[in-house]
Amino acid sequence: MELSRLGFLRAFVAGAILPLFYPLLGRLGAKTRRGRKLLRPPGAKPEDQFLRDCIACGQCANVCPNKCITLVGLEAGIENLGTPRIDARAQGCILCMACTRVCPTQALEKLEPTEEGKRAVRMGLAFVSEDHCYSFAGRTCGVCYRACPLPGEAMTLGLYETPTVHTGHCVGCGLCEQACVQMPQAIRVVPLSDSDRISVLRAQPKGTKKPASRWKQGPRWDEEPSP
Amino acid sequence: MRSGRTLLVVSIITRAGVVLLLCFLALLTNYHNLKQAYNNPRLVELSEGRPMRVFYEKTDALFSAFGDPAEEAQKNGGMTWSIRIGGIPFTDPVAALSVLVKSHRWELGFGLGLIIPLSLALLFGRVFCAYVCPASLLFFTISRIRRLVAKFFWLPECSLHRGFCWGILAGGLITALWIGHGVWTLALPYFALGQTLFHGIAYGGISFSLGSLVVFGLLDLMMGRQFTCRYVCPTGRLLGAIGSRSVFALRHQAGDCVDTCTSCIDVCPMKVQPKFDETRDCSMCGECLTICPTRCLSIGLRKPLSKVDSISCHE
Repeated sequence: MELSRLGFLRAFVAGAILPLFYPLLGRLGAKTRRGRKLLRPPGAKPEDQFLRDCIACGQCANVCPNKCITLVGLEAGIENLGTPRIDARAQGCILCMACTRVCPTQALEKLEPTEEGKRAVRMGLAFVSEDHCYSFAGRTCGVCYRACPLPGEAMTLGLYETPTVHTGHCVGCGLCEQACVQMPQAIRVVPLSDSDRISVLRAQPKGTKKPASRWKQGPRWDEEPSP
Repeated sequence: MRSGRTLLVVSIITRAGVVLLLCFLALLTNYHNLKQAYNNPRLVELSEGRPMRVFYEKTDALFSAFGDPAEEAQKNGGMTWSIRIGGIPFTDPVAALSVLVKSHRWELGFGLGLIIPLSLALLFGRVFCAYVCPASLLFFTISRIRRLVAKFFWLPECSLHRGFCWGILAGGLITALWIGHGVWTLALPYFALGQTLFHGIAYGGISFSLGSLVVFGLLDLMMGRQFTCRYVCPTGRLLGAIGSRSVFALRHQAGDCVDTCTSCIDVCPMKVQPKFDETRDCSMCGECLTICPTRCLSIGLRKPLSKVDSISCHE
């Protein structure tokens, strides 16, 4: 009896140590993007709460009619493995809110697919690069404005259709980034959890020798939204 | 129930059904997406002859028979970890445990999803492993390959203590608490299989979970028959513990049994001992019923604990 208890204990400890090695696996593919926050589907809770609640079941990716939700591989570290993300450049979110209604653990809070529901979303925040944008170079473009689900509120146009993002209203759906005709895109959506660390975006795109571009930053989050 | 062959066939059919269901759900995502896209007449015009268009047209008849894909996707979705079928939620007990550990609360639907898996375990024991788990179909196939290979080469038959599974469960919960639920994607074979299928079909890519699946497959091939099910998978161990006093169980009639015969013990993939009424972790796969020469084994109501047993338990 004593011997079998000892055997149980030994096997138990050996088994318990094994999963602790999995985080090391996560370091294999995650050199560049480690620590970078991901754009989450609409209704997502703040990042740490979201990671606590999300069980990586993939139901949101399964229900997404736009197929903009993808399940993360190991590129963003093991803590994000299997969790949903939206790659806005590839496919922006159309705010149909189907994913918020199927989430079993309420990591995505329920939202209605109405105008009010749309306005309640806070996924991220769009930033415009004046250096890259056609309109700021004097060539009228305005594609991002036409893609915006809340035109006139989240984004307004100035002379030559130069876009201005209004931070109090921008929901971060990423449709503007998807639509941007410039390469690399002149407007980028930054996850809300990451928007205070804009320095990530200041990093030079690969292969360019230009100095880091100036990213036009709107008013801060805690300020009153501009009318 | 005495016919082991029937049970074997049924178990293969149900597991294959689960695999097909997972593929179907991923295909539904594709179809739903394409249906949205082809509402746009300009896209329809442009996409003539493209592979996705062909897929859409080929599967349109199949999927439109189920109704509106948007509604269907709301009702059906997920993987074996947490799944909705016809609006009924199913939750993995390990998922429920790790959510309890991490965020200290269950949503109503998530908690209700436990009812069917837990009552199945309380009624029949560890039947999930032989009748539902899609990964166990893979390991079943590997065990048959192993049997073939073993005719020509010597293959080791390793064994570990049961504590190893409990350790993996505890270690997995600690890791989930530490870095997130992502660890289960790699540590649970059926979860890895679900991820691999979904990535392959919906995104057309290879998931990292495939690597984990290959490791489990090699373990099964090299270390022992259904090694992963027996000594690695924490879900199976948990369900086995929940169902250790299940209502239905494997019964043994000592009168007909031949003392020197150990064929049921040798054949069992879960290494239980039906001959000695030691049926914890029995998944009712029916292998022993098929092989028993005197047909003294059957599946029925569990025998009440006799006096002799209860005394020997206390010693």
